[in-house]
Amino acid sequence: MDKQQEFVLRTTEERDIRFIRLWFTDVLGYLKSVAVAPAELEAAFAEGIGFDGSAIEGFARVSESDMLVKPDPTSFTVLPWRGEPGVARMFCDILMPDGSPSFADPRYVLKRALGRAADMGFTFYTHPEIEFFLFNELPDPGQRPTPIDNGGYFDHTPTSVGQNFRRDAITMLEAMGISVEFSHHEGAPGQQEIDLRYADALSTADNLMTFRTVVKEVALSQGLFASFMPKPLAEHPGSGMHTHLSLFEGDRNAFFEPGADYQLSKVGRSFIAGLLRHAPEITAVTNQWVNSYKRLYGGGEAPAYVCWGHNNRSAMVRVPMYKPQKGQSTRIEVRTLDSACNPYLAFAVLLAAGLKGVEEDYALPAGAEDDVWSLTEGERRAMGIEPLPQNLAEAIAVMEGSELVAETLGEQVFDFFLRNKRAEWHDYRNQVTAFELERYLPAL
Amino acid sequence: MASGRIETTPGRLSRWGFVDAAAAGGVLDRLAAGGTPLPESLLNRFGPVADSNGALSGLARVIEASDDRAALLGALESDEVYSERILAVLGASSALGDHLARRPDDCQLLADADLALSRPTAQGMRAALLAAVGADPESSEPTAGVSGSAAMESLRVEYRRLLLTTAARDLTTEADVSDIAGELADLASAALESALAIARSEVGAEAADVRFAVIAMGKCGGRELNYVSDVDVIYVVEPKPEVDEQTATNIGDRLAAALSRACSTVTAEGALWEVDAALRPEGSAGVLTRTLASHLAYYRRWAKTWEFQALLKARAVAGDLDLGREYVAALSPLIWEASAREGFVSDVQQMRRRVEANVPAREVDRQLKLSPGGLRDIEFSVQLLQLVHGRGDESLRSGNTLQALDSLAVGGYVGRDDAVALADAYRFLRTLEHRLQLRRLRRTHLMPTDAASLRVLGRSVGYTRDPVEELTSEWRRHAREVRRLHEKLFYRPLLQAVARLETGESRLTPEAAKQRMVALGYVDPEGALRHLEALTSGVSRRAAIQRTLLPVMLGWFADAPDPDAGLLGFRRVSEALGSTHWYLALLRDAGATAERLARVLATSRFATDLLLRAPDAVALLAADDALRPRTFDELRGEMSSTTGRAESAEAAAGAVRAIRRRELFRISAAEVLGGVGPAESGPALTAVAEAALQTVLDVATAEVADGAPAPTRFAVIGMGRLGGSELGLGSDLDVLFVHEPTGSADDEDASRHALGIATELRRLLTLPAPDPPMQIDADLRPEGRSGALVRSLSSYRAYYERWSLTWESQALLRARPVAGDPDVGAAFTELIDTMRWPQGGLSATEIIEIRRIKARVESERLPRGADPALHTKLGPGGIADVEWTVQLLQMRHAVQVEQLRTTSTLGALAAASDAGLLTDREAETLRAAWLLATQIRDAIMVAKGRASDSVPRDTGDLALVAGVLGYEPGRSGELVEDYRRVTRRSRAIVEKVFYA
Repeated sequence: MDKQQEFVLRTTEERDIRFIRLWFTDVLGYLKSVAVAPAELEAAFAEGIGFDGSAIEGFARVSESDMLVKPDPTSFTVLPWRGEPGVARMFCDILMPDGSPSFADPRYVLKRALGRAADMGFTFYTHPEIEFFLFNELPDPGQRPTPIDNGGYFDHTPTSVGQNFRRDAITMLEAMGISVEFSHHEGAPGQQEIDLRYADALSTADNLMTFRTVVKEVALSQGLFASFMPKPLAEHPGSGMHTHLSLFEGDRNAFFEPGADYQLSKVGRSFIAGLLRHAPEITAVTNQWVNSYKRLYGGGEAPAYVCWGHNNRSAMVRVPMYKPQKGQSTRIEVRTLDSACNPYLAFAVLLAAGLKGVEEDYALPAGAEDDVWSLTEGERRAMGIEPLPQNLAEAIAVMEGSELVAETLGEQVFDFFLRNKRAEWHDYRNQVTAFELERYLPAL
Repeated sequence: MASGRIETTPGRLSRWGFVDAAAAGGVLDRLAAGGTPLPESLLNRFGPVADSNGALSGLARVIEASDDRAALLGALESDEVYSERILAVLGASSALGDHLARRPDDCQLLADADLALSRPTAQGMRAALLAAVGADPESSEPTAGVSGSAAMESLRVEYRRLLLTTAARDLTTEADVSDIAGELADLASAALESALAIARSEVGAEAADVRFAVIAMGKCGGRELNYVSDVDVIYVVEPKPEVDEQTATNIGDRLAAALSRACSTVTAEGALWEVDAALRPEGSAGVLTRTLASHLAYYRRWAKTWEFQALLKARAVAGDLDLGREYVAALSPLIWEASAREGFVSDVQQMRRRVEANVPAREVDRQLKLSPGGLRDIEFSVQLLQLVHGRGDESLRSGNTLQALDSLAVGGYVGRDDAVALADAYRFLRTLEHRLQLRRLRRTHLMPTDAASLRVLGRSVGYTRDPVEELTSEWRRHAREVRRLHEKLFYRPLLQAVARLETGESRLTPEAAKQRMVALGYVDPEGALRHLEALTSGVSRRAAIQRTLLPVMLGWFADAPDPDAGLLGFRRVSEALGSTHWYLALLRDAGATAERLARVLATSRFATDLLLRAPDAVALLAADDALRPRTFDELRGEMSSTTGRAESAEAAAGAVRAIRRRELFRISAAEVLGGVGPAESGPALTAVAEAALQTVLDVATAEVADGAPAPTRFAVIGMGRLGGSELGLGSDLDVLFVHEPTGSADDEDASRHALGIATELRRLLTLPAPDPPMQIDADLRPEGRSGALVRSLSSYRAYYERWSLTWESQALLRARPVAGDPDVGAAFTELIDTMRWPQGGLSATEIIEIRRIKARVESERLPRGADPALHTKLGPGGIADVEWTVQLLQMRHAVQVEQLRTTSTLGALAAASDAGLLTDREAETLRAAWLLATQIRDAIMVAKGRASDSVPRDTGDLALVAGVLGYEPGRSGELVEDYRRVTRRSRAIVEKVFYA
């Protein structure tokens, strides 16, 4: 029993915790939870708690179903849910019965990617800006959801429900030890943005899983419905998750080099080059749903083309304005991710793509200065700006041939992910949509 | 001064101990000519000196450099103790001789009467070295008053003055090597403090904005330093109030860099030693200084087991000692939690293996530090035991090797006698190391090779009679003692724990024994301890031998995938062979054979089962060429002569199968021990099967003919893996039977006769016996199971002409006569050649037909519930995929490309790439997938003793299979990843070449 574990047991006792939720994430990014009584905690730390892995998407087949969840005591937090006193949660690692890590555990995928970065001397930090929608309720199937307001970007609406919501959500997040940097009303009606403080990628991914749950909880408690769906309203921008990335070498920001262009070091430049070169093949992971591509190709600030720019809000990778004396905050912003990705897998592939650039010393192509959307097809081709995959099927096809993604996710997750996504595309293709009925039924 | 002149004949000089009398005479003459002849009383004192010539020339240089030669000589002559010290130092260290020649006044330091009785305190040395650079020892942050090279030179001079007294105490008193090592560590700490004072003055006022601590690691931390060694350190920095962290680490980095320079820069007075901060978090890639919180965060999150091992020796030695102690106090609990971390057991195994294996090949015989049984072995092993047992027993937590070894012995974790012997060896080796380094104050761990240097070294550690011989034999004795270190430290105490003997000394408690077993990788420690008890109890000769042998065997088991099975198997073999004379002899020698046996038992259930059916096969492992698969000719010869002696057909077949069993044991053992490569076991197993088939066929033929002339000639055609010479350990033998009636014979009679031979062959090969049966599978014959078992050549011809199906032609690609009448075999192949290598290749319809069958096989043949991705035979990219792809190429192109006309999959692959039908990369990818899939199937058989087509899902089984294939313990998941990777790539090529 180490100190952290003892701390958890003591706190459980002192705070009168009645049960503890053990959280983990399936391959698609859904949060899973199993509750245990305090009496079982000690065994959980020592040996893990058995569960049927075949019941979880992507973990195992029926015949190899015995798996273990082993809580990470450093993630112990008392849940501040109202009406549910005495509940705490911990994130878990998924283990095989012999105690070795499961290759199907997304958290392990990220840990391995971080391990490879650590072998190169890097630690990886991320800082996500999460967008989502607040609706009055979950509409009946076929009905349009109604946003809670008609506000716009940065609107301050004094009596707004949204404002109350953000205040409550942030209070709850802070109570769970998740620091919030920034929050405001986003561009679309009912759309909110909350930015988390930067932290190492594993903590950020854990925090994102918590964040989604908290937001949904708080919405429910106020009689609202929150959604991270990438593009719920066709005429309004979708919910992205712009994420700032930085690499540290020890305590030093590896992207920072005083005096260089945009203060961006060689490591930073080849990291971006890696993100760009491998962008198409990782898109199925960073934008994993059929609906994700409605956002990507929906115009506005969504980045559908592979390019980078300095403060260019249409580029896929943006290098934010450098603030003097803030060398430690040099970072790059990736704008493809949407709020419904699996953060463990998404961070892992972004890191792998960037590091590949660093390892192989990719040259950074020229940056784009124009709004990429306003260029003509021909101009883009002339400038060598490629589009990202246009839909999930294209993204799957590119990913299938990717050694980089296979290496990063591990063969097992790679295989499952592709199978699952092919099935999703298959289901989608079988639909007859409202669009088709509206357009064709009268005319054909 | 004629009266003072002494006679310096070579004889007298030799008696004084001068090896090179001429040189000594020259020096004495020079001194006399300079007006300072050496008095005889002084010359008489050269006797015990290690290197008399060196001491004499050193002394001459000191005298000649002295301002008042007469006074110096007088003092030396009158003070016997003083002169002994000077001569001892000059005779042991030319480097200190250089120092004295430059500063003759420092001789005075050795005149101190108290030198032998008292050693300078750590505080005293710190004060002296601080004062030397003009820093105030009383200050909490002493800063040097002088700067630059002047400060560095003063530090070096004062350091050497202190070193001089330490060396004198080392050479002329009974001080233990550990006391000297402790004193050297204190001296190094004081030097670090003084170097920090220099660094502070260099950094300037900002230095006062931070708290800065130097933590010594390694030998300095453990207070067991050498004369010259890199000093391992870690730096901790904390901002003082009003200072931010970033600024603080910046200042810390500058202080650390300046401190390191102050020690290692070469000045007019030389350098001290290198300061090495590579043990810090993230090693040399990490930042130089960190705050306490940052250190803690790193160790909590990222640190590896060996880093905790390094922390064992952490000790605050310079700078802000309060901060340093906070660091040690905060981190040391983590050390003891390391053994509860994930992966600890496999880390320990790897670290243990690294100690055993990682010895540089050059200079290995001369290395005091890195050679097997050298200093690092001892230190490392002691530390491992501390990590394993220190969690529950605080008495084991010392950073000092000798202290730790002592407390391990007191607690019973290590045998008392073993501990004493090891401590002696450690002291001996360290003393040699001290003497070697003192000579020129160079960092060396190499024993000299020339007799002169060995003589000096031998004399310096007290061997005067025959220094070279005594030194060498003593060194050998200790090395022998230490070489079986792991046996002593790790395993022997386990035996004592289960022994019922009352030895009176404390021994490993059952709980600690279990802990140890678990740390060594045993899954069921109670069971293992029971087997140990059974193997070693009693007074039989066997038990006595096993008591000696088991400590070594336990180590070998622990290195293999299934230590528990190894120990159990050994117990069963040992009980079966009882006290057979040769078995005991084999065990007693405990050489390569016992090691092979241990690894086979702890890795392969298949080989263990074969062995337990006939335990005397152990003897096979003793032969030099034990692991070389026997050739077909050797086997055929041996089998034929055995059957010639047999009394019945059954006995003859039994004898053949016993030989086959022995060969299966040999090949499976070779797969475990690395005696056969991945592409070699198939041909080896095929040779065994063919020799057995042919020999038993001879027996069956004779039995059926019963002395009369046979009405038909009979042949066996190998199909599938047999035909391809690619048999696995678990493969059935796919065959066709063909016969050709002799000219006059009646067809029906001939058929009956041929069927009789085939049936008898089958019966003899599968008779119930303790050997694994040879299963014959003739299902590939025309009309399959409903067709006739045996056909004549003409019947085959008629069938193939009428019914020839594409899949049958495909199966015939691997047809090859393996036994029986060679003419019949040749006629059969001629018959099928036009089918399998059709003129004009395949038509478009035929190609589509093959693809369709393949696609259907993929979806239908797979057993229910099997994961296709892990099915080596039918899964995507697996064996069938590769073979069908190759076979399609063969059927399409073999008519033009002659090299494609082979029954071997790998041979056809190579031919296809030579002919440009596949790119090199494609062929290599398919080959890699086929080989890995085949290897996995064999490894499953070897490890589990049961055939299976799927990569095991059970993690225990997976670990065993991965172990056979050479994956490190705890990394069996990588086997699955590797398999998925190669088959994913191979599937992509199959899609392109076979389907498109």
